[in-house]
Amino acid sequence: MIPEKIKPFLPFMAKYKREMAVGMAALLITDITALVIPWLLKEFIDLLPDDPSRSHLLKYAGLLFLTSAVLAIGRYGWRKYMFGPSRKVEFDILNKLFAHFLILDKYYFHRQKIGDLISRATNDLRSVRDFVGLGLLILVDSTVVIIGCVCLMVWINPGLTLAVMIPLPLVSILFFNFVKEISKRHRAVQEHLAKMTARVQENIAGIRVLHAFVQEENEKNKFDVLNQEYIRKNLRITKLFGIFTPSLIFTLGVAAVLSIWLGAKAVIAEEMTLGAFVAFNGYLMMLSWPMMGIGYVINLTQKGQSAMGRIQEIFSSYPDIKDGPAGEGVADTFQVEGKVEFGNFSFSYPEAETPALKHIALTIAKGQTVAIVGKIGSGKSTLAQMLPRLYEGSREGEILIDGKPIQNIPLLNLRKGIGYVDQEPFLFSMSIRANIAFGNEGATSEEFERVVEDAGLEDDLGRFPDGLETIVGERGVSLSGGQKQRIALARALLKRPGILVLDDAFSSLDAETEEFILKKICARMKQVTTIIITHRLSIARQADQVIVLNQGEIVERGTHSELFRKKGIYSTMIKSQSLAQQMEITLQ
Amino acid sequence: MKTTLLENLSDRYQDWALFKRILFYLKPYRLLVAVAIFFLFAVSILGLAGPYFTKIVIDDYIKASRLEGLDLVALLYLGVLALGFVCQFCQTYLMQLIGQKVMYDMRTQVFAHLHKMSFSFFDKNPVGKLITRVVNDVEVLNEMLTSGLILIFSDLFTLAGIFCVMFYLDWRLTLVVCIVFPFLYLATQAYRTRARDALRKNRAHITGLNTFLEENLSGMATVQLFHKEKDHYERFEGINRDKLKEDLRSLHYNAVYLPSIDLFSALGVGLVIWYGGGRFVQDEIQLGVLVAFLQYLQKFFEPIRDLAEKFNIIQTAMASSERVFELIDTPEEIPNPKQAVVPAEKIRGEVEFQNVWFAYKGDDFVLKDISFSIREGESLAIVGATGSGKSTIVNALCRFYDIQKGDILVDGTSIQKMNKYELRQQIALVQQDVFLFSGNILDNIRLGSPNLKQEEAESIAQTVNFEHFINNLPLKYEHDVREGGSNLSLGQKQLLSFARALAVAPRILVLDEATASVDTETEAHIQKALQELIRGRTSIIIAHRLSTLKHVDKILVLKAGEIVEYGSPQDLLKKKGVYHKLYNLQADVAEASSTKTPEK
Repeated sequence: MIPEKIKPFLPFMAKYKREMAVGMAALLITDITALVIPWLLKEFIDLLPDDPSRSHLLKYAGLLFLTSAVLAIGRYGWRKYMFGPSRKVEFDILNKLFAHFLILDKYYFHRQKIGDLISRATNDLRSVRDFVGLGLLILVDSTVVIIGCVCLMVWINPGLTLAVMIPLPLVSILFFNFVKEISKRHRAVQEHLAKMTARVQENIAGIRVLHAFVQEENEKNKFDVLNQEYIRKNLRITKLFGIFTPSLIFTLGVAAVLSIWLGAKAVIAEEMTLGAFVAFNGYLMMLSWPMMGIGYVINLTQKGQSAMGRIQEIFSSYPDIKDGPAGEGVADTFQVEGKVEFGNFSFSYPEAETPALKHIALTIAKGQTVAIVGKIGSGKSTLAQMLPRLYEGSREGEILIDGKPIQNIPLLNLRKGIGYVDQEPFLFSMSIRANIAFGNEGATSEEFERVVEDAGLEDDLGRFPDGLETIVGERGVSLSGGQKQRIALARALLKRPGILVLDDAFSSLDAETEEFILKKICARMKQVTTIIITHRLSIARQADQVIVLNQGEIVERGTHSELFRKKGIYSTMIKSQSLAQQMEITLQ
Repeated sequence: MKTTLLENLSDRYQDWALFKRILFYLKPYRLLVAVAIFFLFAVSILGLAGPYFTKIVIDDYIKASRLEGLDLVALLYLGVLALGFVCQFCQTYLMQLIGQKVMYDMRTQVFAHLHKMSFSFFDKNPVGKLITRVVNDVEVLNEMLTSGLILIFSDLFTLAGIFCVMFYLDWRLTLVVCIVFPFLYLATQAYRTRARDALRKNRAHITGLNTFLEENLSGMATVQLFHKEKDHYERFEGINRDKLKEDLRSLHYNAVYLPSIDLFSALGVGLVIWYGGGRFVQDEIQLGVLVAFLQYLQKFFEPIRDLAEKFNIIQTAMASSERVFELIDTPEEIPNPKQAVVPAEKIRGEVEFQNVWFAYKGDDFVLKDISFSIREGESLAIVGATGSGKSTIVNALCRFYDIQKGDILVDGTSIQKMNKYELRQQIALVQQDVFLFSGNILDNIRLGSPNLKQEEAESIAQTVNFEHFINNLPLKYEHDVREGGSNLSLGQKQLLSFARALAVAPRILVLDEATASVDTETEAHIQKALQELIRGRTSIIIAHRLSTLKHVDKILVLKAGEIVEYGSPQDLLKKKGVYHKLYNLQADVAEASSTKTPEK
């Protein structure tokens, strides 16, 4: 009601102001014609004692029908031109929302639950739509009808109007208290629902453990407690509604009783005609819906506002990772060649106590292959993710690619030039072909065939029902981890990147296959800088440079043979690894 | 491709069938439903009193210019209103109560059904989708039951009620008004078929939109890395536009149909004025009746309008119910036998695989003719390369998947004849990736045995060498573990999972050794704990460390789903096969580390 609160809606509605104006006009016509009808009936009833002729009656019937025809056209108008824009506003907001999602960074999606974002894009958006369409409609409709009815009632009989109006303020009082309490109880329900969602989520995520420990019954019981509490909280709202709605009807009913009782006396006392008495009752009846409508509008406005607030929250969050300020940037024509330098680079994740990377100084020449090894949590992946700028927290020092600070390179060019494959790649529910060609739809069929071969996918493809056209995911074939990883590799290779980052990208493959694929790639892509993060140290043998990370620091560096002789962390790792490796080989 | 799948789905669940199924959930509350419908009926009838009182006042008092008794009529009207108030409260509360109970039942059912699903189901279905089923879809169904279905009842009662009263007041006039109905019926039919089509298509588009949204939010990093933002935006906009088109189409139908009701209503009122007015002039009808008739007629078209609006709510809810029922209808892949063999209180722990064949899909066998046996208290290590079928043996033993050929016996009884829950209760499984639950350390140790005492938990922690870790934590056993155990180190999670397994005092222990490396000190703790764990217990260990092989009674070497070697370590050494090689590897390392130590 206060313009400040409506503000966020305005830009979206402005686009359709003409349509909405038409709708508004149609609504006014509707309301005014609706007010005419009881008046016509009044005239008709007052006419009856004078023994009107059939044709006279027909004239009234025709007049009434004509008025109704206007009413119907008005109704058509506002339905079409008030609800229509609300759908279009919904459409626009959703598009804008999706476009905004597309610019937000990985860190954002890490913090926000995807379920929550979807709920904002669907449920909250529906509340906004209802406010823009239904809310506005009821607001205008109620105001016009209430004012119109009350004026006409006063016109018919001011005294009676005053008497009838006595119980009505009760409705408003009832309403304001009701709204306050109901929103409190609504919030309790929402919070509980979130709790329940979290429980279900954990249950499904850990279902393998729960089943292994035969916790089905136990979990059902725990869920049951939550479920029952939820019902209880919901019924608390119901009780309120159960009292509120009937009280409203009752209050309006009391007004109707007063109007009949006092009205009848007035007619007998010949203070008003019988027709006026009927019309008065008619207008009173017309008031009941807008009276309830006001409550509904308050509800819709509240919901719409908080929903819009939640949507605005998404719009007002900006990615930390974006192109540097214009002017300082590197030209749009920049192409990643492949030289990488870390200059005393440190990095901490937001809200982390200790830095994930400390004083990394590292130069990788174009075309070099570097293996980064270390224990879990030593910072290997963090280091790799710095290059395509997937994360950005507090940082010191700098990263240069081809001598240019990484922040200054347009994000588009940077990412175009880097092929990044991680341990759990995401594939879309499309055909395998579409997944590999993702982002490189223009690739020639030779290029395509070559990456399929390089990624060692040919045998697997033969086993799928439709080969390359096999659909991946929920509605299609479920792929093994190794297959997913190799499709992701093919996808990255097809980009012809200047830098290829393989972040434990073959963890689901056996050592032999991994080595086979890597050899092939390295031979084929001599010019491409390749950074391999791996747990399998045998891979490191082929690298030009090996980096050993420990707690975010480079503790050892050199070639495989240098490090092996050094008898430090690397050689210890190599020994225990090669044992496992040989074990694996023996077992093959 | 996608749209045809969606259409298939709608075909499978016809609206009427869905409707009946939803109604079926009301069955346990039929008494309550009956009472609620009674109140609903009462509310509808009492709601019709207004115009009738108007008629009485006009005909008996105003026309007769009689004042005495008028107060009584007003009082009576007030009484009717008060009664209506009470009835409506009861009706609203009861309806919501029933709705909530149904929602509770449905949610419990869906949740319980999820727990009946086998691992292959969870392999296929993303977590987010399943959450939506249990939480949101059930919620929408409730909305339909309480605000859709019930109001339809009330609308129908009101319609019938008005018709009866009108007929009672003046049947001739009513019949004349009936002329309108055939037209009304035709208009409604025309509207229904079109609106239904638009709403159905709209529903499919909404599903498509949500699927696309969900997938893109999950894979946003990939979209961005491959600079597909523009492309995906266009696709999204396209689906959204299709949805808008159907939205506007159904809006258009509403915009035409609903005002048309006004015309029919006006036609009815016109007929009353013309015919009824004429009859009044001829003194065949009283004025009050005419007025009441006009008022009723206006009320009559309200429920019809209302029903058209409800149509939308119901269509949306149908989409949700479809999805919920689809989940509930997913058959349980691993059913319990009808009459399970009751195992002894404590089984002995003999395990036998007899020519077991297993494939996750089709003829692609992952286990081929596997036979082995473990006596009570014996331990068996399984070694093999990645993908050789080690984990599958474990999954088959726990009946997370059912085998195709052969048999698995525990204490001489086929596991297919046993209650799968009782079977799993005898087996403690330590998985490679430890999943911990939110709660504290003690809760996590107690996972499989909720009644475990604190002292017992402490002694278990001691056994698996976890005690000193816990004692170093500020809150000790009350230390909060976040979901997935993200705030504990790898080694800590390992040891906690050992404690969790030991807490159920299993007869059979199955352990999938973690491959990830931890520091040497923790490694030593884990190895020591492992020995404690398998002592005196039938154990199957999927070994990734050669050192583990030293502590077991039997070794099984798997290769591509087949057994290549099986026997005691001594026998296998003599065979000079794979195990012999592994043993030599081990010896080399021992030598290497012994030469290394002096350097330190």
